[in-house]
Amino acid sequence: MSSIDWIVLFGTLIFIVAYGVWKTRGTNSMDSYLRGDTSKWWTIGLSIMATQASAITFLSTPGQAYTDGMRFIQFYFGLPLAMILISVFFLPIYYKLKVYTAYEYLESRFDVKTRMLAALIFLIQRGLAAGITIYAPAIILSSLLDWRLGYTTLIIGVLVIIYTVSGGTKAVTQTQKQQMAVMMGGMIAAGVLVIVSLPDNVGFFDAMHVAGKMGKLNVVNFDFDLSDRYNFWSGMTGAVFLFMSYFGTDQSQVQRYLSGKSLSESRLGLMMNGLLKVPMQFIILFIGAMVFVFYQFNAPPVFFNDTVAQQVRVSEQGEAFTALEDEYNSIFEEKRRAVDNLVTTVESGDEKSIDLAANTLNSLQESSEEVRTQAKAVIQQALPDAETNDKDYIFMNFVMNNLPVGIVGLLFAVIFSAAMSSTSSELNALGSTSVIDFYKRKINQKASDKHYLQSSKLFTLAWGILAIIFASYLSLFENLIQAVNLIGSLFYPIVLGIFVVAFFFKYIKANAVFIAAILSQAVIILLHYLNVNGQAGFFTMGFLWYNAFGCVLVVLIGFIIQTGINQKRNS
Amino acid sequence: MSEIKKEKEVPVDPPPFLGSWKNIYWLLMGNLIVLILLFYLFTIHFS
Repeated sequence: MSSIDWIVLFGTLIFIVAYGVWKTRGTNSMDSYLRGDTSKWWTIGLSIMATQASAITFLSTPGQAYTDGMRFIQFYFGLPLAMILISVFFLPIYYKLKVYTAYEYLESRFDVKTRMLAALIFLIQRGLAAGITIYAPAIILSSLLDWRLGYTTLIIGVLVIIYTVSGGTKAVTQTQKQQMAVMMGGMIAAGVLVIVSLPDNVGFFDAMHVAGKMGKLNVVNFDFDLSDRYNFWSGMTGAVFLFMSYFGTDQSQVQRYLSGKSLSESRLGLMMNGLLKVPMQFIILFIGAMVFVFYQFNAPPVFFNDTVAQQVRVSEQGEAFTALEDEYNSIFEEKRRAVDNLVTTVESGDEKSIDLAANTLNSLQESSEEVRTQAKAVIQQALPDAETNDKDYIFMNFVMNNLPVGIVGLLFAVIFSAAMSSTSSELNALGSTSVIDFYKRKINQKASDKHYLQSSKLFTLAWGILAIIFASYLSLFENLIQAVNLIGSLFYPIVLGIFVVAFFFKYIKANAVFIAAILSQAVIILLHYLNVNGQAGFFTMGFLWYNAFGCVLVVLIGFIIQTGINQKRNS
Repeated sequence: MSEIKKEKEVPVDPPPFLGSWKNIYWLLMGNLIVLILLFYLFTIHFS
């Protein structure tokens, strides 16, 4: 990177941290530290979006479109419906009870052990996710910037800790406005530049035709298939449950909209998210599809992680790898002619010629993918510990090698800002839950406001340090965004099930829901184990379906146990 | 359903535009349906 890029990157990050600390100086009460209580609806909306949009979103999503097309967008179809349900059912109760955390409500509806179970599940799954949220961009950025992993982990972790510990919820919300501006500005600049970088004879619509004919604009699929992770039906059912759990019961999100000046401001913040999230994801995926088109006209590397590719070139397998790179490049030359032919035939409008040109191109694309698979096998031989899934490197590799000076620094600032925005919400929520649901509730009930404020800061700091340590010991998952969604899908359905029982099934009481939650959690973990090992039989399903299954399971088991308890009592 | 009944007792201000929260929810669902329809046409047109 050039010195201008470094100035843009560090200038942006230091400004955001300094602004967060300065803007929230003098935060001296628990209420302003944990709730904020002053945000307008658009600040809440931006904060909700910034919390969900982690670095993983910007690293993985364009790569997802590059390799798998845009069908991932369907995962977000359930989000607007979830926003409405939370606005109608969850939010008024949180406001009425004036809670700091979502789990406080469970004590008033059930008992303290159910509240603590839900809070504990949150601490476990969000604590794990906080580590991934730091680790995911850290490992990719360390490779791209050629830094040690520890440095990138520390930069993200320490910067976040500074303003989150100092200003609490208000600092998180204030900095997320700047971070969202950086994220959106950077991505729009990247989107415009990738289209401008296409050859002069290739227009915007030509590019879309190329992407479409090569299967990258597969946005909607109405076919019902339980084992298919992303289609319309999984988006409108399984994902609704996931988003209800995430936005309705995950403290890292609940704390964002409880920072509103009033119930109406919080509701409008949720509505803003429901309105803008799908188009936002569409734009990010579309940029990934356009990067794919860019690489139909410009030779892509056979493997997008340059650092790993360079290590393989100088290893014993170097010759085999270089031979595959040559083969890949020669297929690219053929593909280049085929894609030019496709553009010409699309302009002619002759359907038969278009189909013929598209078939030729797709067959060459298959050959090219085969060579990529062989190259990954060689990498595996040369470096057994190396990650051969390079999906998460595609977008930033494109940025570093093809975008102008200044914009590269801005795009790195996008990734760091996204990592910081979601991590700060997580640490803020982990600190709040530790203090409100455990420390204040069970350990020290009668301390002063000042003592709880200091405790909140200490717990936030402790979770920050723990997340950094955890991030330092993680190994890379198949795909980072899916790793986060998987962890969520294993734990969220149980917490959502408890809340659904609380809101809609008065018949089910504390002991029944508590036992049901523990049994259901065991069933979900067993189900995932069987699915991973191909032994689930009739219950084979994509992990997004765990959300609906687990939630329904808590309700059903709770109902059966409660009936048993009632019958025993009556007899 | 007792909690929901209690919730109805909480005074809720109308939204600053569109008159009622119900209209805001319809706007959200209408927007989603239009987007899905456009995405479907987009998929068909370019595939």
